[in-house]
Amino acid sequence: MIETREPTGYRQRQRRKLTFARLSFYTFLALIAVAWAYIFVEGDSGFTLLLEGRTWDNAGKFLTRLAGAGQDERPAFLQPEQWWATGRLAYNTLAMSVLAIGIAGFGAFLTFIFAARNISSGSLGGTPSRLGAAVYYFLRILYAFTRAVPELVWAMLIVFFLSPGILPGALALGVHNLGIMGRLAAEVVEDMDPAPARAMRASGAGIFQIFLYAILPQTLPHFITYLLYRWEVVIRTTVVVGFVSAGGLGLEMRLNLSFFHYDQVTLLILWYLLLVTGVDFLSAWMRKMARFE
Amino acid sequence: MRPARPLLESPHFLSLLLLGAVAWSLTGVAWGEPLLHTGGGDSALDMLLALFPPDLSPAFLLVCLQAAWHTLSIALASITLAVLIGFPLGVMASGALVSPDSRLRAPLMLSSRFVLGTVRSIHELVWAVLLVAAIGLSPLAAIVALGLPYAGILGRIYAEFLEDTPEEPLTALRSAGASSWQTLVFGRLPMCTPDLVSYTFYRFECSIRSAAILSFVGIRGIGYEIQLSLGDLLFSQVWTLLLALLAIVALVDFWSGRVRQSLLES
Repeated sequence: MIETREPTGYRQRQRRKLTFARLSFYTFLALIAVAWAYIFVEGDSGFTLLLEGRTWDNAGKFLTRLAGAGQDERPAFLQPEQWWATGRLAYNTLAMSVLAIGIAGFGAFLTFIFAARNISSGSLGGTPSRLGAAVYYFLRILYAFTRAVPELVWAMLIVFFLSPGILPGALALGVHNLGIMGRLAAEVVEDMDPAPARAMRASGAGIFQIFLYAILPQTLPHFITYLLYRWEVVIRTTVVVGFVSAGGLGLEMRLNLSFFHYDQVTLLILWYLLLVTGVDFLSAWMRKMARFE
Repeated sequence: MRPARPLLESPHFLSLLLLGAVAWSLTGVAWGEPLLHTGGGDSALDMLLALFPPDLSPAFLLVCLQAAWHTLSIALASITLAVLIGFPLGVMASGALVSPDSRLRAPLMLSSRFVLGTVRSIHELVWAVLLVAAIGLSPLAAIVALGLPYAGILGRIYAEFLEDTPEEPLTALRSAGASSWQTLVFGRLPMCTPDLVSYTFYRFECSIRSAAILSFVGIRGIGYEIQLSLGDLLFSQVWTLLLALLAIVALVDFWSGRVRQSLLES
């Protein structure tokens, strides 16, 4: 009789691995249960509001005011001159998003190569050095920190010393995205095919030649693709950063909400959606250009 | 030899376009006026120097801990909501529920994709501002404001994962007489569970950051405390709070990395 026993070590390892994933899953479920319980117990969760008629009345009123009903003049989003007036804000918002991507792109482009492990360890070219390793860890920590602090918090900090305008918003978005772009680009370098770089090194090329002719051609299309994807995210976030740093659609939206000019808010949201859709299309078109053959 | 691309599709044109766009965006900055506030440089320096050391007094660490848990609980609650809304919509959007030649398929897929796309295109903070105006300031508003856009993102990615499963096992199931429902439960879902789980975990990480900034509309949590400390110019407290946020995100990142690894290896 042929024994069809699986190797026991493998089985056991598999079972242990599964229990870690499963244990994590149960822990996560328990955390969720505790979180919901906490939200209900801790204070007014707002869920009781849902049972009151008043809440729904208010919400309905809010929606009708957004739709521009119940006011004497024509709602703002039906007046061409209002579209023109807020168009300037949309233009600024677009400029802010492009500037932010520019800052993130240049910052990441100048540094990502030193944040790749295979470069700093010298496995692609050059010699491994203490300095290279130190720069590697410094950049990785810098990326992690700029990435972990949300855009809005960066904006709150930056408006402390920069004059209002599109620059503080763009800087806040740029710094946050620098961390994201840097990490993504460095990982692309780590995952790339080392053969061209090694071949160049073997034939005596210097580190800059290797960078220009072996690393850049492989990584640049990925880099630009990621950058364009981030642009789609950034344009959605410009509004939020505009809430705190003056400039763009965000500030105007917040002001109009506090003045109860809800038809204006609708107009701004329409502009926002137009920008978001437009950038999505532009980015898709440009990503097609960046693809390699 | 590769065929030459038309100018409008060439990578060089793209590089020019991108550089031109950035140059254009620089014109939007008011260069004529001073870029810094009066005394702005000094407050930037104060802010930096306050890192040495951050405020580590026990009383403030307790505040930090409370704020962190607040943020975490909002993130956990909203990710539950996002999965509850996003998963059914994602399954519908993937078209896995109906047989490939059903007439219901296209309308079902398109309508669920449209819903997912709409909730996704509005940023969570814009949702929060609108919801607070509509139903008032409460954790509920925060959870819904975070849950909706995250449901849109999760649903779209779930749909993509479900569509990308290899066809052969599904064809085998179908030819053995399985319904679309059975193909989904016993074919597609088990095949992409690791992807689904690890992506949800990644989004949970993101939702912690998002929950922290929701405080901007008045929800308590890390962002709220940051705002308070900034208002009082207590920069060393701001640093403590930022480091706390960093620590939570790093912890969840580490955890999700371990889970992903163990799911992939098993």
